[in-house]
Amino acid sequence: MTTMTETTTQVYQLYIRATPEQVWDAITNPETIAKYFHGAQLDPGPLEVGASRRTWSPDRSRLWGDNTILECDPPRRFVHTWRSLYDDELAAEDESRVTWEIEPARGGTSKLTLVHDRLEGAPRTAASVRGWSFILSNLKTLLETGDPFPAEE
Amino acid sequence: MIGGMDDDLVFKALADPTRRMLLDRLFTRDGRTLTELEAQLEMTRFGVMKHLKVLEGAGLVVSRKRGREKLHFLNPVPIRQIHDRWIDKYREREVSALLDLKTSLEDTA
Repeated sequence: MTTMTETTTQVYQLYIRATPEQVWDAITNPETIAKYFHGAQLDPGPLEVGASRRTWSPDRSRLWGDNTILECDPPRRFVHTWRSLYDDELAAEDESRVTWEIEPARGGTSKLTLVHDRLEGAPRTAASVRGWSFILSNLKTLLETGDPFPAEE
Repeated sequence: MIGGMDDDLVFKALADPTRRMLLDRLFTRDGRTLTELEAQLEMTRFGVMKHLKVLEGAGLVVSRKRGREKLHFLNPVPIRQIHDRWIDKYREREVSALLDLKTSLEDTA
């Protein structure tokens, strides 16, 4: 019997009524990221393999992340390292990896898949990044309505 | 895939005990093969495949190839969206109604 189990990979997927280019912009443009990612401030920098992505708290007093771009293929695939620096216990864990995949889908939508893997040496980080659901829901709402939070109906 | 249609698929997928059990299994340990999921159920391989297909159609399960294997992952995003749309809103209303009641009871006391 095959019992291959992958416990150190998390997969998140959603459809967004936007073009792949718009989704690409939303995951790479510092101004857009600030709107759906807890107000995170990303330093502007080149979008190329090996470039660093430094993220700060909204008031820029604390470094939240200092990740490296591993793959960059606009508007399809964006891969970078991940280490949560906003918490000392998380920061002490091994680096993990985040892969964003964007595919055009039917009805003028894009399918966005986020895979957070290589979490073997980062169990606490694995538990904490379950919040990707929240971030991605905000991202979808932002792209579809211009506002990151669900509308009051 | 959008808006209300999404919700219908998610609610229909969740309206079955076997499918909810499959989700719970993946929640406990993510990224399993069909063989592994099937091994723990009193059900044929075909039956499990059928249920997984419904869950995939609703976006609750995402399968990814790894080598020759197909691994199934729980995708929590649709549940988050249901939560935002259908639960948060009503829970807030309920809480504020209770707070109103408390205030009015205390005022008249």
